[in-house]
Amino acid sequence: MANRATQTASAATQNSKPLRAHAQPIVLYALLILGVVIVIVPLMWAAAASFTPNHKVFEYAYPFSWRALFPVDFTLEAYDNLFDRGFGRAVGNTFFLAIATVIIGGAVNALAGFAFGRFEFRGKNALFLTIVMLTFMVPVDLTAIPRYILVNNFGWINTWQGLLVPGLANSLVIFLFRQFFAEIPQELIDAARVDGATWLRVLISIILPISKPVLVAAALLMFISQWNAFFWPLLIAPTKEMRVVQVEISLAIGQYGTVWNELLAGSMIAAIVPILLVIPFQRYYVQAITGTGLE
Amino acid sequence: MMRARQQIIPYLFLLPALLLLVVFNLMPTIATLFESMFVISLRSGERVFAGFANYNRIFNDPIFWKSFQVTVVFSLLVNPIQIALALGLAVLINQRVHAIGIFRSIYLLPIAVSLNVTAIVWGLMLDQNSGMINGILWQLGVERQPFLHSVDQALWSIILIASWIGVPLWSLFILAGLQNIPPPVLEAAKIDGANAWQSFTKITLPLLRRVLAFVLVADTVANFLMFAPILLLTSGGPQLSTNLIMYETYRRGFLYGDLGASAAMLSVMLVIVFIIVGIELYALRGQD
Amino acid sequence: MLSRKLMLVTMLLGIFAILLAPASAQDEPTTITWLTLGWPADYIIEEFEARNPDINVEAEQVGFNDLFAQIQVRLGAGSEVPDVISVDVPLVSGYALRNWLLPLDPVFTGDEVEDWLPAAVNAGSYEGTLYAAPVSTSTQLLFYNKACFDRAGLMAPGADDRLTWEEIAEIAPQMTFDDDGDGTPDVWGFIWEQMVRIYQLQALPESLGGSAIGEDGLTVDGVINSPEWIEAYTYYYNMFNVWNAAPQGEEFWPADIFETGNICMFVGGPWNIGRFANNADLDIEWGVSRHPYFADGVAATPTGSWHIGVNANTENVEAATRFVHFISTGEGAELWWRRPGGGDFPAQQSVLAMFATEEEFDELPMSYMRTAADEATVNPRPRAVTVGFLEYEQILQNTFQDIRNGADVEESLNLAVQRIESEMAKYR
Repeated sequence: MANRATQTASAATQNSKPLRAHAQPIVLYALLILGVVIVIVPLMWAAAASFTPNHKVFEYAYPFSWRALFPVDFTLEAYDNLFDRGFGRAVGNTFFLAIATVIIGGAVNALAGFAFGRFEFRGKNALFLTIVMLTFMVPVDLTAIPRYILVNNFGWINTWQGLLVPGLANSLVIFLFRQFFAEIPQELIDAARVDGATWLRVLISIILPISKPVLVAAALLMFISQWNAFFWPLLIAPTKEMRVVQVEISLAIGQYGTVWNELLAGSMIAAIVPILLVIPFQRYYVQAITGTGLE
Repeated sequence: MMRARQQIIPYLFLLPALLLLVVFNLMPTIATLFESMFVISLRSGERVFAGFANYNRIFNDPIFWKSFQVTVVFSLLVNPIQIALALGLAVLINQRVHAIGIFRSIYLLPIAVSLNVTAIVWGLMLDQNSGMINGILWQLGVERQPFLHSVDQALWSIILIASWIGVPLWSLFILAGLQNIPPPVLEAAKIDGANAWQSFTKITLPLLRRVLAFVLVADTVANFLMFAPILLLTSGGPQLSTNLIMYETYRRGFLYGDLGASAAMLSVMLVIVFIIVGIELYALRGQD
Repeated sequence: MLSRKLMLVTMLLGIFAILLAPASAQDEPTTITWLTLGWPADYIIEEFEARNPDINVEAEQVGFNDLFAQIQVRLGAGSEVPDVISVDVPLVSGYALRNWLLPLDPVFTGDEVEDWLPAAVNAGSYEGTLYAAPVSTSTQLLFYNKACFDRAGLMAPGADDRLTWEEIAEIAPQMTFDDDGDGTPDVWGFIWEQMVRIYQLQALPESLGGSAIGEDGLTVDGVINSPEWIEAYTYYYNMFNVWNAAPQGEEFWPADIFETGNICMFVGGPWNIGRFANNADLDIEWGVSRHPYFADGVAATPTGSWHIGVNANTENVEAATRFVHFISTGEGAELWWRRPGGGDFPAQQSVLAMFATEEEFDELPMSYMRTAADEATVNPRPRAVTVGFLEYEQILQNTFQDIRNGADVEESLNLAVQRIESEMAKYR
């Protein structure tokens, strides 16, 4: 059966028609390379400095030399210190939390997106506007105090559920799912319904299999938001056993100075995990956005 | 029978997500905004209803108005800059040239890096004494610049840091929009004798209207809510030149424990965000 | 409205908790949490647990900049954890005013209280009640690199000399060198260790007879923009902006740069003595002298450091106070001072006495600890006693950073007055 979502997706890649047929490639590449320099230089310097002894972190940055971008005084000192202090556990904790968020949060948000995208029911727009859109516009960090009081009343301080549960429902992801599911042709669903499938069955065996791009995009969004979380985990679970990556990094900024290479080493590990996930899936991102009807 | 069940099912599907959003997002938001109507007596710890006293207090506070002014200037600069650059970048990586896939992948990197890490790395790059940017300027024979420590340059430095993530992120959305423009439309324009610039302004841009509206709104909200780089790098300085309202809100509430004033500022901000988003949506509404 | 709902939720959860609670929990050790900084806390926890097998201590370590917001949110929310909190001593009155800390008077005997330095006991108390037990205190010394003095053809001071700020102003530029000729020095003459913190910079106006805050503990107008303050911070401004003997820009930790030979002198804490003495790779001949003062003024030294308090809402009063007692008195306090990486400075006279008696402090450079112990008794000036210290501290930190980077002194201090007065209004 024809499957429109993938069709749109593959069409999208074929459509990348040049703006002008004879764009001067030299100017084009010059601009592209300029952009790459801006993106890559900070990351290369930070990576190189993280493999440098702490007192040499700024050695080649001022005056600038190419050595600043490569770990010429290579040492694993910063990484050794970090992992001795329990950074490995923080990476494991954060990874576990992020995966749990993707799985549980993915289910919760997909169900809601399905309801908003495919059903007509009383109060649909009101619920969407007052709950989903409103919570999207409010900075979560600045409403942390009442949330902390609530979670404390649940007895969830220093617990995994305290770290996990408040971040499961994600307005942006619900919105993404809603847009994507709304585009799926009705015939697909009708056919399954005639065969007597339940709505849950329709979602699982008809809709999800053709929604790969939006699933990947939503999973990445949820993964990155949990992976980069700092303020809430710091409040709710600062004990050593439960620290997450961003909290562990912040410890390198001490009262008596900052251990630069450890700060940067932690930052590099924090960055590399999402990067490894983003790059291979980049085409899904674009497809998912294309599929949401935002264009 | 069938209808009745269908009536219940969407609510069942919504229940987990909406329950979580209400409990962990909506209720705390309402409680925070509610707090703006109270003062806490520091000595007895009692909460006393204070009406608009907190609002009165912040509206008579020159520091608040200074932050307000900084926030307005910041928004008027950062949003057009980010959207213009994001549009440019999207057009650039939409070109079908050799190795474009590699370039696209590289441009995605900043999106994966957290704002905290970005702020830390750029803060070090912009360091007045030993930062790499000054190192490069020195090689070029340009005098050392204070960047984050100068009243004139600090806000621009914050804009640079915010844009390092923001431009690639928003360009991704615009790229998706570009890829959805059917090629025959552009070809037809070419046959009609339109040059590249004409076909971009007359055809491409109007077709991007919806995605640009989304990007503009989302970008505005994101930049209004941002305060991590300020917290990590400038603490609102030098001389309050980067003291965005969100940071002042954070500082009053989370450092100084002045929850009433903090909540009042947050309410004012939310109203402003709603109004601006409303205006943006109105201005970019479809003619169709 | 919300709180009533919360109470209902709490009650329901409480009932669940009772129903689900394990029948016998008596053999389980009590676990307490300690909110503190990123220093090697495990060391003291192991020592404590070895002596108190019925208590587990969990350290909740956060970055220096995050600690204050943590305390604000968690204690402000009435949370029963953390049980024990490390408290920067000037914040004691603010926390005590808000009823966040448990009064500690019953925990200590009269002898134990008398063993602490009186200034530390005062600083940890609010309206006559002890809320935070002294763990450490501090003082400041001038650290110098002898090679710089040699290079400039100057005589280095002895450990008991006290230079004037005027002398520092004269010699610091002579010890500032631009070796690569890029127009910016590579070796700087002078810096303050905590270069924008009132902790260390308060000694400047106090040497001239200025005060830190008005009599009522709230007023700053006419105090922090007084002639003494303007004179003191004009000196500070000149050091960075006119004599160009100290580096501007980011805050940084001077000891790192001192060790590479790029800072000739800095005023810093005695923790640096242990640091430099234990650094086997250190290739610098260094020394200390007393804290500088203004020629027409008096010697005044910074003091105060970390105390330890108990959350007023803790459910483990006994275990929490036992830990606080351990770390702030006798053997525990000495163990804490001896933790790996070195400590600040003990606040117990019995522990301070070891500098005079123990052999390891007979020889240079560890004998400088004796200089420090003595310096701690020379006109130590605690930070402003005010319930709004955090606001005061943070705003002045912005102000000093601005002055350091070239903002007008009088204008900056007046802006600070405006900002602090506006924050203090809520306490009036």
